[in-house]
Amino acid sequence: MFEATQNVMLKPTESWRQALLDHRVMDLFFTEADCAEEAQPIALKEVDCAEEAQPIALKEADCAEEVTSASCQDIWLTDRQHEVTARPGEHGGGGGGEPESARPEWRLRPDHTLSSSSSSSPPRCRGHRLRTVHRKIREDSDMAQDSLQCLAQLASMHGPVFPDESAQVSYLAHLLEGLLNMINGIEIEDSEAVGIATLISNLIATFPRSVLTALPTELFSSFINCLTLLTCSFGRSAALEEVVSMACLQPRLPRRGTHPKTPCGDGSLSRVSLSTQLDKDDMVYMEAYDKLLESWLKLAQEDEHFPRGCFVEPAVQVFNSYIQCHLAAPEGTRNLTANGMASHEEEEISELQEDDRELFSDQLASVGMLGRIAAEHCIPLLTGLLEDRVTRLHGQLQRHQQHLMASTDPDSVDRKVLDDLYEDIHWLILVSGYLLADDLQGETPLIPSEVMQFSVKHSGEVDINTTLQILGSPGERATSIPGCNRTDSVIRLLSAVLRASEVESRATRASLTELLSPQMGKDIVWFLRRWARTYLLVDEKLYETISIPLSTAFGADTEGSQWIVGYLLEKVINNLSVWSSEPELANDTVELLVTLVEKRERANIVVQCENWWNLAKRFATRSPPLHLLSSPIQRTLMKALVLGGFAHMDSDTKQQYWAEVLHPLQQRFLNLINQENFAQICQEEAVKQEIVATLEALCGIAEATQIDNVASLFSFLMDFLSSCIGLMEVYQNSPETVNLIIEVFVEVAHKQICYLGETKSMRLYEVCLTLLQVYSKNNQGRKRQDVAAEEDQYQDLLLIMELLTNLLSKEFIDFSDTDEVFRGQEQSTSAARTVSAADVVLFGVNIVLPLMSQDLLKFPSLCNQYYKLITFICEIFPEKIPQLPEELFKSLMFSLELGMTSYPWMSSEVSQLCLEALSPLAEQCAKTQEKDTPLFIATRHFLKLVFDMLVLQKHNTQRTVAAGEALYTLVCLHQAEYSDLVESLLSSQRDAVIYQRLADAFSTLTANSTPPAMDRKQKNAFLRSLEEFMANVGGLLCVK
Amino acid sequence: IIPLLLEEPSVTKPIMADPDIDFASGDAGASLTYPMQCSALRKNGHVVLKGRPCKIVEMSTSKTGKHGHAKVHLVGIDIFTGKKNEDICPSTHNMDVPNIKRLDYQLVGVCDGYLSLMKDNGDVREDLRLPEGDLGKEIESKFEAGEEMLASFLLLLYHKHLAISVLSAMGEECAVAIKAMTSK
Repeated sequence: MFEATQNVMLKPTESWRQALLDHRVMDLFFTEADCAEEAQPIALKEVDCAEEAQPIALKEADCAEEVTSASCQDIWLTDRQHEVTARPGEHGGGGGGEPESARPEWRLRPDHTLSSSSSSSPPRCRGHRLRTVHRKIREDSDMAQDSLQCLAQLASMHGPVFPDESAQVSYLAHLLEGLLNMINGIEIEDSEAVGIATLISNLIATFPRSVLTALPTELFSSFINCLTLLTCSFGRSAALEEVVSMACLQPRLPRRGTHPKTPCGDGSLSRVSLSTQLDKDDMVYMEAYDKLLESWLKLAQEDEHFPRGCFVEPAVQVFNSYIQCHLAAPEGTRNLTANGMASHEEEEISELQEDDRELFSDQLASVGMLGRIAAEHCIPLLTGLLEDRVTRLHGQLQRHQQHLMASTDPDSVDRKVLDDLYEDIHWLILVSGYLLADDLQGETPLIPSEVMQFSVKHSGEVDINTTLQILGSPGERATSIPGCNRTDSVIRLLSAVLRASEVESRATRASLTELLSPQMGKDIVWFLRRWARTYLLVDEKLYETISIPLSTAFGADTEGSQWIVGYLLEKVINNLSVWSSEPELANDTVELLVTLVEKRERANIVVQCENWWNLAKRFATRSPPLHLLSSPIQRTLMKALVLGGFAHMDSDTKQQYWAEVLHPLQQRFLNLINQENFAQICQEEAVKQEIVATLEALCGIAEATQIDNVASLFSFLMDFLSSCIGLMEVYQNSPETVNLIIEVFVEVAHKQICYLGETKSMRLYEVCLTLLQVYSKNNQGRKRQDVAAEEDQYQDLLLIMELLTNLLSKEFIDFSDTDEVFRGQEQSTSAARTVSAADVVLFGVNIVLPLMSQDLLKFPSLCNQYYKLITFICEIFPEKIPQLPEELFKSLMFSLELGMTSYPWMSSEVSQLCLEALSPLAEQCAKTQEKDTPLFIATRHFLKLVFDMLVLQKHNTQRTVAAGEALYTLVCLHQAEYSDLVESLLSSQRDAVIYQRLADAFSTLTANSTPPAMDRKQKNAFLRSLEEFMANVGGLLCVK
Repeated sequence: IIPLLLEEPSVTKPIMADPDIDFASGDAGASLTYPMQCSALRKNGHVVLKGRPCKIVEMSTSKTGKHGHAKVHLVGIDIFTGKKNEDICPSTHNMDVPNIKRLDYQLVGVCDGYLSLMKDNGDVREDLRLPEGDLGKEIESKFEAGEEMLASFLLLLYHKHLAISVLSAMGEECAVAIKAMTSK
């Protein structure tokens, strides 16, 4: 059919045509047409059903081509998922087929045929028809997915297609009525779950709150009701699915094969990789549940726009069902199969598998948010459940202890009951953590207002002393304390976690560590860290109202906060000695320690604890058991100890502290390397270990850098750096040690260079330059193993590039002005300065470039770091580029070309980086005015590349911006060549219509910036025209 | 040819008290192995697997069930034979770590499948076998080429000599590498 109409606009992609010719599309179209006839009375004014169906998806086989092209083009412009846009066929599946991607935008322009025909009658009835269709075809899972996909598209309709808000409201009302009709009274098939969830999440994401609230109250509440029921039901089904899929991991059980392909019809168009698709196959309800929970999060975050309290009841229900699905029987339904049988499979879990708190972070964030909305219900619920489980755990462990004392066989212990308790506690702690606090990066996390209000509201009925008593006695059962029902619930929830922590600690003291769950240990310190960041030493200035119990218990200068800091510290120390064999748990533990000291106010209390000093001393002397910790943990521990050293202490104490923490490190290191026989013993395992431990510690010290301690840490580290270079020679046969040495430099540069003044940066540059020289000397003639080698063989190269990039970053981020008071003095030294950043970096590039090869670029980490580095160099030192030796220059230019053109072989960031490198190079050429230099010739070549990329290749918005900027500067430089390119492109067009369109487009493109000149205003004008240009003819010539 | 210190030019004096040190039993006083908690091992370090000194090439952890304890999966390459050994053990376990020494000797002769090696103090030992396989062949051919060079006095002119790296661990010794060295 399309061959007949032969619209050039549809040339771009084959998949588009395929999708249109897909028989299912046709089927649906016809079915829909039949249905439309049935529904005639409803479809009153609609001009043409086919045309109407346009935006829905790609069902419109022979409809007005202009609409198709216009809307399809519009998608290209608006959708950020460019892969998707390039293949409009897939777009139909946008909602469901692209579960992770942003929802497709159906923003239609008013001047389109479609909207002009429908603006008089807002698109209201189509949805109904499709839903009717859906009822008829839902037995066929493939077709059901297609029709749900259409509905999902309908649910994301927005933009000028609606003349006003009331039109939008009535459209939505209609959609919702249809949806509710469709869902009511049917049992949802597996294949429909994701489709329906997508529909709902699309409409919640698309329609403004004002439209939702303008809906008839009854309709809105039945929608919320329906959403609640669906969420709970999908949640239960998801839990069942988990049980089944876990069973599937066991080879002896038959794999469930009844599930249809990924719902919502991404079928053949799917870009999801095979493995994830296989996972998804088995987890349709999990996906649907995720989507609905996400929608709840969106609603809950803006709940002030909705009638007060309208989400409380639904929140309670969803929250309850989540908890229920995660608790063991009898209260919960975890691990129960559909017929009520408990399943308990022990699977092997590799270290690569994410922890639940990350794997389910989205779910947990939503559930936590709902928990806040219904805090009245949820916080006491969690507390009660947690206290109960902890008491049971305590009892169970005691029974085991007695059992163990009676019999000598440790294997006789049945872990089933314990594991169930651990799993319950695991989920309860995760939900509590997400409910009570947020985990923000780089911001001070605040106590969520709902939680604060909840605590404030009840503070009148609370007995603060009892609350503190419950908090301060984690060893006792909470319910055994008199008046325990008059406590602050928020504090009570924390103390429930502390009780879990206490049971754990006591069990370790009773040598029951074998019976404990490292997972629970992780959850506890994870929770405590999250809690401490938000609640510990709560700053009253940050809140409008503050709850008295919270500020009494955790405010600054309170006994409560001192007590809890001491408690947490003890926990950390206990964990580090008991759990040194559990890397993840030890890591979460040191992270808790870092949290305690990274804020000055908290650190001030920490350093008053005797335990802290003991810890510092023991670590400094490498006494057991701290030396058993793995090296990343030791590194972080060092970081924490250094951070703590900058807390408030009197000068004697401070001196003493440093004498006990940093000086032993230095002393031991110097003693070792200055030993007369160091050269002989240096390869001995024990010596190497000492060296490695020192290097790790140095990295940890560098990581502890903050603006107020950089001065002292810098000079301390500088003393080490030159000795480290000596070690490069000694350990040149031991790549892992060499890497660690380079890493020290990388960390110092990364953390400190932005604060250093001129003299100090110079010292760092110098020492880095020496490092590079030694590295290059040692690498001469070094043969690396074959290209099939693993990525970590090139760790040194990666680190060198990181080091160079870090040194360059000074040009972007520099906080040093403040600490260099005597800039006048600096001037005189800078005249005689020996090393500049450019010298170091270019020297480094001389080393790195010859070592890089096309094969190495196949490693993503190397590739990205390499391009980041060369782009930085082009941007910062464009004047140095023409001075490079010929070979280097060539390989640099070749690298740029490769990076630009190798998409998608390399990531799109790489091609973007390369494009960004072009403008400074072209500007450099323009500055020198020299023609026929190699750089000038290279830029001419790049002009053609960028031109072709923009005009002939698939469109990619982010890249287009970068390409546009590059193109403009290149056009300025090579105006004649640009005209030639345009001419030759035009002359190759045989179709007069296309020729004209192209010619017009090109002349408009440069109309506002003629003659092209390198100034910002003109450039911006050009970029704006380019946007138009791409909208108009972009993709026109794109040949796949 | 003056005996030269090969390993580290800056070091002035070798400090081996006993020139006839018994290599078979390792250094006097130093134990062959020492224990280390499994979790503290690191990749590229060494460990004893199945009674053999190995370099760790792979190290990963896993657990049985969500609440299980960590187990460490180790893959090591026998430092002498290149054979792969694997082991899996609870991460709380102590593993033996071999004391490994690597010494460079000057190659002065290859005879009847044995190497003549000169220590930096001038002592010559002839008890070490020429390794089998490619390395053995490489040592032989390089040594012969070196002999020719010697004949042309080039060796003396350029102060070139061949160095053999000898690895010793757990009472076992083996030549593991040959390299050309320029002595001062």
